[in-house]
Amino acid sequence: MTAVLVSVTSKVAAAGGRTELLKTKTYLYTSEEENVNRKQEKHLLLLLRKVSSMAGRRTLKAVLIDLSGTLHIEDAAVPGAQDALNRLRQASVAVKFVTNTTKESKRSLLERLQRLNFDLQEKEIFTSLSAARSLLEQKQHRPLLLVEDSALEDFTGIDTSEPNAVVIGLAPNHFNYPTLNKAFRMILDGAPLIAIHKARYYKRKDGLALGPGPFVTGLEYATDCKATVVGKPEQTFFTQALSDLGCSPNEAVMIGDDARDDVGGAQNAGMMGILVRTGKYREGDENKINPPPHLTCDSFPKAVEHILKNLL
Amino acid sequence: MADTGWPGCSKSLKGVILDMCGVLYESGEGDGVAIPGSIEAVKKLKASDLQLRFCTNETQATREKFVAKLQRLGFDISVSEVFSPAPAAVAVLKERALRPHLLVYDGLLPEFDSVDKTNPNCVVIGDAAEQFSYQNLNEAFSVLIGMENPMLFSLGQGRYYKETDGLKLDVGVYMKALEYACDLKAEVVGKPSPTFFQSVLNDMGLQPHEALMIGDDLVNDVGGAQHCGMKGVQVRTGKYRPSDERNSTVMADGTVDNLAQAVDMILNQRH
Repeated sequence: MTAVLVSVTSKVAAAGGRTELLKTKTYLYTSEEENVNRKQEKHLLLLLRKVSSMAGRRTLKAVLIDLSGTLHIEDAAVPGAQDALNRLRQASVAVKFVTNTTKESKRSLLERLQRLNFDLQEKEIFTSLSAARSLLEQKQHRPLLLVEDSALEDFTGIDTSEPNAVVIGLAPNHFNYPTLNKAFRMILDGAPLIAIHKARYYKRKDGLALGPGPFVTGLEYATDCKATVVGKPEQTFFTQALSDLGCSPNEAVMIGDDARDDVGGAQNAGMMGILVRTGKYREGDENKINPPPHLTCDSFPKAVEHILKNLL
Repeated sequence: MADTGWPGCSKSLKGVILDMCGVLYESGEGDGVAIPGSIEAVKKLKASDLQLRFCTNETQATREKFVAKLQRLGFDISVSEVFSPAPAAVAVLKERALRPHLLVYDGLLPEFDSVDKTNPNCVVIGDAAEQFSYQNLNEAFSVLIGMENPMLFSLGQGRYYKETDGLKLDVGVYMKALEYACDLKAEVVGKPSPTFFQSVLNDMGLQPHEALMIGDDLVNDVGGAQHCGMKGVQVRTGKYRPSDERNSTVMADGTVDNLAQAVDMILNQRH
């Protein structure tokens, strides 16, 4: 029996310009003249599929790293993180810094991290603000921007007169009754609600504080509308972050402190996820996602150790 | 007994329960404004042989204060006829030996005077309006996230209500916010909780099918009442929106322009 194994991974351009990766299909072609034993063929096919899927977990090409809570907590770096990042850079993997942090523009994130002696460039930073901006441009919305003043910089050039869309980021200053009422009335009148992300809470020096998620959920309830979420853990966020690195999700790993948004989101997008016990991590978080994290470890340096030892 | 729809069911009614804000009056500057025809409608109901109670999720003021406000507007109404969430919540807290962290409008605080608020082991939220500041919400969140078995009581779950200057976010929005933040489910005290409606029916000594609820909130007034076995009629005043008449979950037994029209229809059936 002549058998040809053809493995096809195809991309299909879907509406809106997003590309979706279809599952790898394995075909078994047999020569027509031969009297094929159906049972043998099926057995061979299953074996070939197994080999093909094992080969599918290729070597690691990229590491996505969360910022707040993983590399640093407010103005303090996680001990040993700078060295760990340098060691990671010496291996041949691409590195990208992905964050839902919406209080700061890319430039101010960069400045803070450089002050903490981290070695990185602005173009390696991908934020949910970047993701929101491209959505606004795509749909030509004029937004009511409920984002911190320091994040407005990433929206320069976008027309905000007579707003017809509501954009919500982490903006404690705007989460007051009058402003939320204004947003509520706009949405009732038909304005789309765009959430930069729906984090439930984040870590401040004085403890945990409410993120934008609760307020977005409240507005969804008030207006009976669903928000479009552009940040983690949305699949598009991760695939967009990897798009200019030329690798597919199964060639990448995500390191973060948020079980649902960092690890769960990345794994749903086809990546591996490593959960670190710093930042907003709380005991038992690893049990809250299915499948569980590829690894749960104490901190970013430990995650890098694991990658260098086991995944390259 | 054959189940007659609205308005025919009025023949066998023994009691009527009225929502207040959006049915009797519209709230806003100062005391707000009585809805045309409502004062007269209440008088007519009291003159009839029907029992009458008022059921509100008002939580910005104590019962005494807002009944006094309605009396100033011209309504014939007394505190003993009014059912609101705060007294019901106080009863629940005492029954279960709970000590609350309160996120409620200042005007409501006196309702909780007799409750031990030290070392809170639960959170109670009401319609706090401007007092739903980020800081206040964060405080409530901190109390909840620090508890092993977080408990949140919400005085009602309304999405919004109408004031003279437009629609405003109600307590339900903030209840959902805290539920999402803490991954918990709140216990609702007030409409549409069946326990709340039952306490009103008990006070009237009536079975559900003998009572009719009239309100402006399709889900919490009408839906809540229907869920208990009462009939529910929606008025087109207050927070009513035309899309309510196309709602896929709740279908009112009847929709009328205002309380005055509802009462005329009821009394016409009973001649």
